[in-house]
Amino acid sequence: MNPGMPPKLSLPGVKHVVAVASGKGGVGKSTVAANLAVALRMSGKTVGLMDADIYGPSVAIMFGLGLVDPQTTPFPLEKYGVKLMSMGFMVDPNQAVIWRGPKVAQAVQAFLGQINWGDLDYLVIDLPPGTGDAQLTLSQSAPLTGAVIVTTPGEVSLIDARKGVKMFREVRVPILGIVENMSYFEDAAGNKTPIFGVGGGMKLALESNVPFLGELPIDPRVAQCGDAGEPIVRKYPDSPVAKSYMALAATVAETAAKPTSGALPEVQL
Amino acid sequence: MAGELRPVSLKREGDGLSIEWSDGVTTFATWRHLRANCPCAACIEDRAKPPDPFRVLTPQEAAAGPPQPVAMKPVGHYAYQITWNDGHATGIYPVERLRQLGEEKK
Repeated sequence: MNPGMPPKLSLPGVKHVVAVASGKGGVGKSTVAANLAVALRMSGKTVGLMDADIYGPSVAIMFGLGLVDPQTTPFPLEKYGVKLMSMGFMVDPNQAVIWRGPKVAQAVQAFLGQINWGDLDYLVIDLPPGTGDAQLTLSQSAPLTGAVIVTTPGEVSLIDARKGVKMFREVRVPILGIVENMSYFEDAAGNKTPIFGVGGGMKLALESNVPFLGELPIDPRVAQCGDAGEPIVRKYPDSPVAKSYMALAATVAETAAKPTSGALPEVQL
Repeated sequence: MAGELRPVSLKREGDGLSIEWSDGVTTFATWRHLRANCPCAACIEDRAKPPDPFRVLTPQEAAAGPPQPVAMKPVGHYAYQITWNDGHATGIYPVERLRQLGEEKK
């Protein structure tokens, strides 16, 4: 076996594996992944969230969890009814993970294949930015149902998001759709101010011929909730952004349920 | 994704690989042609160099004889990895490339 070629993993108890990706960093991928996972859970689904961002894990802090002893703690951990796995549970936040790509691929495979995820309706995977080792490993070895691409409205974000779309196309992972994060700020009077530009998510969806899954407004409480360890969708379920997340979860569930072309046939040698 | 060209079945036929495609077309490529067009980085680099008449075959290459696959496994939803009888296994053939190689009729 080529050492760069990850083994095919099967997750027999997991119905749908949904990757949350973007080309660019800082667009709120981890926030979207965490809130999407909790929103799916709040819709009555069984859900896991795997943090594939090995260098910069966020899931631990976003769920109010910290370091645990990996020798004595059974993974995945669970919070708010969501099963969780992250490098943040094992590496001190003050330490850097200084690894070359193959080690990242190994860690991603271990998170997927060696963690007992049990029976899940959805395993959401929070990907790191870019189109590198973690993305390729998942595309080659995980039974991905599809990918949700997160972007902010501006062109600077779109140029990288396009690369994400292109990558998933090349490896034939279905793109469930584009989510536009940080679309606008809505003040108390209901006036919407677009801070980072207008319409980028829809533009990318149209040019890529994939569904546009919706806009997520800017709300300072999103970041506060992330830092405080309780995603906004759970903490303030009546807020507009939480409602947008619930709508996103419903759309993702509906899109993921559509039949896709699926696995390639085996070769009769 | 729905209109994407997909292999429906792949099987060994004589000295090559026969693929039936979702558009009803059947293509055939010899193992030799597939091996000669291995898409791995090392082979692409080797093909870009002028041929070296003094290259010494490894014992495994010398013993292997004509190229034959030892294994051919799907990679994700987009490619197949072939392990050859000369020990080479780094080539991941995207399905579009398999179609092209089959259409070249070699």
